[in-house]
Amino acid sequence: MTEVKQGRGRVPQGLILGIESSCDETAAAVVRGGRETLSNVVASQIALHARFGGVVPELASREHLRAVVPVVEAAMAEAGVAFADLDAVAVTEGPGLPGALLVGVSYAKALAFGLGKPLIAVNHLEGHIHAVLLEVLAARADAQIPHKPTSGLYPPHEQGPVRGGPGNGAPGEPFEAGQTILALVVSGGHTHLYLAQEQNGAWHYRNVGRTVDDAAGEAFDKVAKLLGLGYPGGPWLDALAPFGDAGAVPFSFAQIKAKAHRRGEAGALDPKEATYFSFSGIKTAVLRYTQVHGMEERIAQRRAALAAMPGASPKRDLELVRALCDQETLDLIASFQRAVVEDLRRKTFQTAERFGAASVLVSGGVAANRELREHFTAEARAQGLPIAFPSLKLSTDNAAMIAAAAWPKLVTGKFADERLTADAALKLGV
Amino acid sequence: MSKNTETVTFSTQSAEETIAAGHKIAAKLRPPLLLILRGDLGAGKTTLVKGIAEAYGAAQADEVTSPTFTLLHEFLGTLDGTAGGAQVLLCHLDLYRVDDERQLAAIGLDEMPAPESIVLVEWGEKFAALMARCDGEIVVKSLGGDAREITLKLRGQA
Repeated sequence: MTEVKQGRGRVPQGLILGIESSCDETAAAVVRGGRETLSNVVASQIALHARFGGVVPELASREHLRAVVPVVEAAMAEAGVAFADLDAVAVTEGPGLPGALLVGVSYAKALAFGLGKPLIAVNHLEGHIHAVLLEVLAARADAQIPHKPTSGLYPPHEQGPVRGGPGNGAPGEPFEAGQTILALVVSGGHTHLYLAQEQNGAWHYRNVGRTVDDAAGEAFDKVAKLLGLGYPGGPWLDALAPFGDAGAVPFSFAQIKAKAHRRGEAGALDPKEATYFSFSGIKTAVLRYTQVHGMEERIAQRRAALAAMPGASPKRDLELVRALCDQETLDLIASFQRAVVEDLRRKTFQTAERFGAASVLVSGGVAANRELREHFTAEARAQGLPIAFPSLKLSTDNAAMIAAAAWPKLVTGKFADERLTADAALKLGV
Repeated sequence: MSKNTETVTFSTQSAEETIAAGHKIAAKLRPPLLLILRGDLGAGKTTLVKGIAEAYGAAQADEVTSPTFTLLHEFLGTLDGTAGGAQVLLCHLDLYRVDDERQLAAIGLDEMPAPESIVLVEWGEKFAALMARCDGEIVVKSLGGDAREITLKLRGQA
């Protein structure tokens, strides 16, 4: 890809400013050539307090409105890039919350128009996929430096770091153009399976699976809450699960058969070959377990104890919180996590096999779950499939992934026009 | 139309029956309408919305997913579920993650319901101002196992 760009000369550096405001986070990042992250700023992580009188969760468009200018300025300053140096402005057009999306889209349109730079629209889910590809490319570039270990990429059969620069990798190298990648995007808001493929510089996606009710991350957060561990408490479950017996409570997932869809309906999955997830039932099953086993009082005590320690984190305060959990609770947590991870693993790899995917990538907040990474990595090794996960910073919502996903669109000249607007229900792929 | 509250109760024994109850409830609703959708975690609120959305031909049951993270899902359909029927915009909100009343305006709740919309708000009971101006509520109660009791309460509706 680099060679193609340099030959054209129209895009000297491939500097893209990405802006993301689809849900809770206002974020901006500058990425060069879809691979080199120069800055990656998320509003909740920078000190806006003093200037703006306290940070409210970036839930509402009003908060995005307050944050978007300082966040973009911070991203530009951190990257050491002037607006005039940019080759394009990229923004999340959907899916997400309409008002929140509109802030990013309006700002990006105005900025691109004012600068006379191209505007690129990116699907948020496509962004999550490119969060992983961005790091694969970066790791590959790093691997050209001898003895520098790669991160985020697990090549099959312990081959060691993947060699070769982007675009000049040997045929058959993981995540190369033309190969079918199966992507699992799994977070608090999404549980989707996509086939992704790069052809002639452009990426193509096909949706082959999704949840019919709750997202997997939502199940984690809600189970944490009903066990008195606060909300969102998914990371607590991940941290506490190793102390319980994952075989203690047998949870089962019903087979989901979706009804045939209306013919010709846009975005409809073919029920015969689609994969469906359902995480609403297991949440209810956990609730019922706590009721049947008389755990309510202990949960109330735990809830009160945790309320008295605001800002507690699984990294720092694990022993304190573990002490608040009896063995029955730890076993329940371990069993719940095992059941969800195994359901995701089984269905993801079945789907990979069904479509002959050459590699698997996992993205979104739940991709940070340790047991998920272990089980997916082991399964991928057993099947000889390369697998990749994003780093923690790129697993949750960020703008580097938006700028990275915009790069192939810049190369292939797929620009948005002045009619671009937020699309809250935007789907990815055919 | 009287200002009395109309109350209808359904008993269901499975998720399928809850979806069927959603169809019956859908037939009783006329926009503009804003209803609080109450029930504990796992009571089956989203399952009921699947039935309502299906009745309006606004979405397939399996397309209606939880809006907890995304806050708002919209489905465009028709009151009688046919292509030629009067349009209805079904708005499914979830305020589980929302703690601050100020955020409601930013989500767009202040402008709801629009003339053609039926708005169902999960965890809306957290906000007194919303309770004061809603047109009624749907309460989903677990009776143990898969059994549910679903109560529709409508304040005098035109």
